[in-house]
Formats: sequence, C-alpha cells, structure tokens
Amino acid sequence: MIKRINFWVIFAFLVPLLVAIPIFTVFLSFFDTTGNYLDLLKDTFLLKYLSNSFLILLGVLSLTFIFGVTSAYFVSFYKFPGVNFFKWALILSFAVPAYIYAYSLVAFFENYGTAFSILTYLFGEGDYNKNIPKFDGLIGSMFSISFSLFGYVYVLTRASFVFQSHNLIEVGKNLGLSSYESFFKIILPSARPAIVVGLSLVAMETLSDFGTVDFFSISTLTTAIYNAWISFDDLTTANQLSFVLLFFILLLFILENLSRKGAKYHQNSKGNKPIPKIQLVGGKSILATCFCSILFFCSFVFPVSQMTYWTIKFPKYFQDINFWSLNMNTLLLVFLSSLFLIIFSFMTNYGNRVSKNKLISYLSTFSVSGYALPGIILAVAFITFISWFSDFLSSIFGFNSFKNVFIGSVVGLVIAYFVRFFSLSYNGIKSGYSKINNSIDENAYLLGYSKLKTFSTIHLPYLKTNILLVGVLIALEIIKELPITLILRPFNFETFATKAYSYAAQDLLEAAAFPSLCLIIWASIFILFISKYILSEK
Amino acid sequence: MEKTMNKLIRVIGLGIVGLFSTLLVANSVFANEVNVFSARHYDSDVQLYEKFTAKTGIKVNVVSGKDKALQKRIKEEGKDSKADIYITADAGRLGAFQAEGMFQKGASSAALKKVVPANFRSPYWVGIAKRARIIYYNPKTVNPSWNMSYEDLADPKYKGRVVIRKSSNIYNQSLVASLIKNNGEKKTAAWAKGMVNNFARKPTGNDRAQILAVAAGEADWAVANTYYLALMLSGKKGAEQQAAAKKVMPFFPNQDGRGTHMNISGGGILKHAPNKANAVKLLEFLLTPEAQQHIVNNTFEYPMIPGVEANKLIAQFGLDFKQDLKTKVSNYGKLQAKALKVMNEAGW
Repeated sequence: MIKRINFWVIFAFLVPLLVAIPIFTVFLSFFDTTGNYLDLLKDTFLLKYLSNSFLILLGVLSLTFIFGVTSAYFVSFYKFPGVNFFKWALILSFAVPAYIYAYSLVAFFENYGTAFSILTYLFGEGDYNKNIPKFDGLIGSMFSISFSLFGYVYVLTRASFVFQSHNLIEVGKNLGLSSYESFFKIILPSARPAIVVGLSLVAMETLSDFGTVDFFSISTLTTAIYNAWISFDDLTTANQLSFVLLFFILLLFILENLSRKGAKYHQNSKGNKPIPKIQLVGGKSILATCFCSILFFCSFVFPVSQMTYWTIKFPKYFQDINFWSLNMNTLLLVFLSSLFLIIFSFMTNYGNRVSKNKLISYLSTFSVSGYALPGIILAVAFITFISWFSDFLSSIFGFNSFKNVFIGSVVGLVIAYFVRFFSLSYNGIKSGYSKINNSIDENAYLLGYSKLKTFSTIHLPYLKTNILLVGVLIALEIIKELPITLILRPFNFETFATKAYSYAAQDLLEAAAFPSLCLIIWASIFILFISKYILSEK
Repeated sequence: MEKTMNKLIRVIGLGIVGLFSTLLVANSVFANEVNVFSARHYDSDVQLYEKFTAKTGIKVNVVSGKDKALQKRIKEEGKDSKADIYITADAGRLGAFQAEGMFQKGASSAALKKVVPANFRSPYWVGIAKRARIIYYNPKTVNPSWNMSYEDLADPKYKGRVVIRKSSNIYNQSLVASLIKNNGEKKTAAWAKGMVNNFARKPTGNDRAQILAVAAGEADWAVANTYYLALMLSGKKGAEQQAAAKKVMPFFPNQDGRGTHMNISGGGILKHAPNKANAVKLLEFLLTPEAQQHIVNNTFEYPMIPGVEANKLIAQFGLDFKQDLKTKVSNYGKLQAKALKVMNEAGW
C-alpha cells in the first residue's frame, strides 16, 4: 500500500483539492447575517429571477435540441447539396460567444439599426421601424445563447449517429416504419445519451451566463447572486441563492455523468465502416439544404457580417486599438492556461490510474464541477479566498501578504481559468486514457519501464490527438472568457473579450465590432484546426 | 522517446519563464505612477491620462470593469491594494463607497474647492463631469408646457406613451432616489405606479434605445441622460441615428421647482492609496480647463468647472436651465435601495 503513495498519487490528490477550493468557498465563506437583501428579494423579485432563469433555460434547451439534433440527423444520414460543407461549417458557431451574438442582434433589430439601413438602402426613405420585429431581452437572451451553444448538441449527437453499428434508417425500413416514425422510434432513442450530455453542457453554460443577460439587463439567478454578494454585501442570501444554483447544477452534472456512461455503451459498435448515406431528392433535399443554410447563416454568418459591416463603416475605431498587445495578451493566456491544464490533467489522470484509490477518484469527480460554477461567481470566490488565506497566514505566521501575486496578475488569471476549465481538460484526457488498456502499463513495468518512462513513451504519443483537442477546446473557452478576465486582470491589460465589452459598456457597439471580429477569427482558426478530429468518421 | 521528453521539458521551461516574466511586468513598480480603478470605460479617458503623463511624467495604470466588482476587489485587497483612485459614474455609488470607509480625505484639495460647486464634491470624492437626466419628446406629436416635471410623466393622460429603461439601472435609481428625497416615499410609490401604467412597452434597452423609440414613434416621451442624444447627433453612431436624433427634442423638467435632476461622474482617493500625492495631482489635472474641454468634447457630459463650454451638440439645447442643486447628490446613495424597492413594487 505504502508503495503506492508516490509523486503521482500526491498529484492526483492535490490538484483536484486546489480546484475544489472556490466551490467550497462559495458554500463556506458566508456565515454572517449581514444584510436585508433577501427581504427585498422575497417581497419583490426572487420569483422573477427564478422564473427568468427557468424560462431562459427552457427556451435554450428547446432551441438547441431542435437545431442540434435536426442538423446532426440530416448531416449524418443523408446526402444533399452542401452536406460536406455544413458538416464542419455548423461547428463554427462555437466561435461566436453569446454576448457578441447579443450585440449583433440588438444592433440589427433596434430602431434605426442595421435592418433599417438595409431597408432604406433597398427601398428608399421610409418609416420601417414599425415593421422590424423587436426583441424582448428574454427572447434575445434565449436566441443569443442558443445559437452560440447548439454546437454541443450537434457535435455529440452527430458522433453518436456516426458510430452506430447499423444504419438505423435501414433498420426502420426493414421494420416497415416511415422515415418520420423511424426518427422518433429508433434514431432519437438511440442517440439519447449523447443528446442528454450535449443538453446538460448547454444547461450548465446557460445557467452560468453573465455577459448576455447582463447586456440585456435580464436578472437571473446568477445575477441575483452577484448582486446579493457584491451590491448588497448580503452573504447569507448569496449563500442561499448559490446553494439553489449549485443544486441545479449538481443535478445536471449527475445527469450528464450518468448519460456519458450510457453513451459509451452505445458507441461500442463493432465495425468502423462509415454508414452509407441516403441521397435526398426533390423537396426533401431542398428542405435539408435550407435548414442547414439558415442555421449556418443565423449562427455564424449573421454576427460576423454585422461585425464586419461596422468595422468597415467605422474605420476610425480600429485606430484606437492596440492590435498587437491584444493578440499577445489573448495568446499568452491561452498558451499558459492550456499548458498548465494539460500537464496537471495528465498527472491527475495518471495518478488516478496508478493509485486506483476511491477517495481520489471521487475528489476528481467533485472538483470538475468547477466548470459549472459561473465564471463571475468563481472570480469573486477566488478573490475572497486569496484575501482570507493571505490574511490568515500573515496573522498566524507573520508571512508577507501575497495578495498582489494572485489578484490582478497573469498568475491569478491562469489559476482562475485553471479552476474553471479543469473539468474540460481532465475529462478530455481521461476519455483518451480510458482507451489505453491497463495491461499495456503492466507490460511496460515488466519490461522495466519506470512510471515516468511509461508515461512519456507510451501514454503521451498515444494521446497526441487528445492533447490537441483539449488544448484547442481550452483555447476557445479562454479566448471567449469575459467575467473572470474582467475582474482579475492586471493594470493596463486587455484581451479581445474585455475590449469588446468595454466598448459595449460605453454604448459604442460600433467600436466593439473590431475586437469582436478578431475574437471570432481566432476562435474560428482554432476550430478549423481541429474540425477534422471532431468530425472524424473513423 | 527521449526527444518527446526533451520537447516537453523545453515547452514547460518556456512556459515557466513566460509566466515569471509576465509576473514581473505585471507587478513591476514604477517609481512615479498612479493607479486608477475605473468603472467608466471611455477611451477618451485613457487619452486624457496620456496627456497627464506627458505633462507630469507620472505613469497612469488603469483597470476598468464593472462598478461593484471593482469595489469588491479593492475591499478584498485591503491594505495591499495598489489602487489609488476609484472613478465611477453616479454620485450614489461614490457616496456608498465612502460610507463603507473606502475613501480617504483629500480628494477635494484647496485648488478643487475653488472651482467645483459644493454640491458636487465632498472631502472624500470630487465630481469630474456632470450629466442631466432629462425628458425627450416628439415635437410632431406633443408639446410640453415650460414647467413640465418628472412628476407629470405619471399623469394618466400619457397612458401608453412613455418609455424609460429598467429599474435595475443606476441612473433610474438615482432619479427616483431624488424624487423620494423631495416628495416622500409614499408619493413616489404612487408616481412609480402611474409611470408603469403609462409605459408604451416593457422597459428594454439602454438610454439611447429610449430616445430612438420616440424617434420611431413608439412613444411620445422618454427619460434618458443628456449625452446620449449628443452621441447620436455627433454621427459616431452612423447617419441613420444622426437623422433619428434630430426628430427628438430634449426637455429640461422641473424648471419652476427644484430644477432638473443632475448627476456626476467622479472619483475619490482610496484609503490605502500608495501614491496619494500623485492621485491628488491626477484629480486636479482632470479638473483643469484643458482636461475638462477634452472630456466634454468626447463624452458630451457637462463641464464641472466654470469657464469651460459644453460641446456645441449639447450646448445648443441651452445651458441656462435650472439645475437641481438643492437635492444633495450625496442623498442618492442612501436612498437607492428604497428607490429600487419602490420601482419593483410598481412592477417597473
């Protein structure tokens, strides 16, 4: 037993513990009764906040389900004009963060907005404002979040369709079902685990959204926690609300985990032969092409066009931007964070593998729920914890304060990202590891390989693709990340996301266009880089 | 194999070097600097800081962000905070932060006391620019009498014709706080209900969206801050919005009473400021005619000191309107929570 307590195991224990700290902080740092925000909430808007969160969640889940599953169904089983293009083009929606989508939506549909300009250009002067549909903030949030997140459902559902051992449409035909019946009776149930995983990811991201609902001034559970904690200094209420939120999230998390197990079972197909696709003709083929085109247009072309239009229309604004430093800052954060995340995820995974300790395994599972903690809450929890810990060490051991090392520094940012995205990275590496049989390790040890050597010569090369995938997923998240960066960044430090936010905050969405566009371009490059792995049919 | 490992080690090494070098840059101490936490996001403010640096050799470092999040960071950093000055829009926020003991005295130096009106400063903070929260109307459909007031907007005869943004907005909270201060909570609660009855639509969008709603004929009356109209008139938002802004007229209410509701952008020196002397210099600089001219021409706010003319896009609507100098802006902070409650209970 003692032999097993080594470097790797210690890692597997310490890293998840570190990651879990902010989650504990959210629960534990609020014990005083400090304010009366809850009374105000109860009397007036607690119900509204809850119902807003619930409505947005419901809307987003319905929309992402329809968008994701339908497009995955078309693309996986049929041939129609443009199918090979849509297959990868639809995942470009990942490049557009929901808050930038929201900027585009408002800019286009507002009175005298872009839609008005287009109509004026086409048909001359006129009173078009009345005919342009107006978005309520709630509806606007639903659409913005749905278009930027449906990709999760699309990618996972598609993968599940592709890895079926039989062509399910053929199966349906043999049973005498219409294509409509076989969709609902065979295809949909077969992909259920994958769909549930996709939807729970969507749900977690939706509940933790801050940028979009803040832009539309929609109050949700997350903004209520933020207000209770920060505006009203009412820690008790923040605690109670956080508890409700975390409870929801934990539920989703468990659901996701259970479904992942189910999904694995279904993916255990024997052959790796791609399923022959059915050629669509006539109206059906037009329908499929139209659906995918509209989805691609709405989710990617529309926001990109709006941002490009502004960038060209208001060239003055990009002179004000320090382009190189924005690139350098964004890439620096991406590089450092992915580096540390990948290294530590490896060590934790490997530690788990060699120790086979239940406690460590549970701790890892618990710590990855950091992903579900809204970024803005995590950032505040981080500041609170560092401040408390530094004061604590100073008072007991007379240490010098180290707050400045962690708050308002790149180090702090990287650590906060680490906590937020450890789940992504840990699970990504884990899914690769689960494919390497344990007997390979045993054989390596028998050949006299050390643990380090087994790791570096056997595991590392085998997991190359996984590393690439995980690295890019982290990069995407960090490029788009807003609330953590905003709160924890050093002096004079901007990323594309903070720059865009800052212009939006001064009501100059026109100026936010250029940094938004750069952000989308960077994210798209990363997506295209890995699209062939995400979409692999082998 | 060896190669992979070497590569890995090299990459890790590079990462660590990168990390520490950024750490050094991020934490490097400039002997002569002043650190600003700002909830105002204007690029023009940054240009102004550059002018200050050119003049004095004092480097200005900035972190901008959401008001309350910045305050939280300053509070948690405590005596280790490097922040010298905290700048934000809305007097209520400044007052609330002062009440928490986060500012030290000294923001209003002797030089500043001479130029800044007493209502717009305290020993702990000083106003940098002024804005009025006013009424906008559509001159084609309505014509306000000269003495129309905020109170009048709740009159049932305007049913379905008024737009204003959400109650969560701080400018609304300060406006309603001033109404509570002047008319009492009960009357203001009735007023808020009247306002909600008159809404042309559920509150949505920012101040500019309210003005555009009047231009588009969705409503006859809007409440919004002064600088939004000027921003549209400047053409910075494109030709369409410039044309739309011309369809709307601003109106300064409560002229036969206490005057139009005024608010400020302002800043104070933080309790643990490491560079207090430089902070005082920066605040003094922001209230020089040169800096004020820069501010009013970029943000279209009103100047804080005499002798500086507001930008002509805003000055054209008159500068001699009666400002509410009676209601101390320091009251806003104290009554904002009450204001929010009143609005929420009315269904705002």
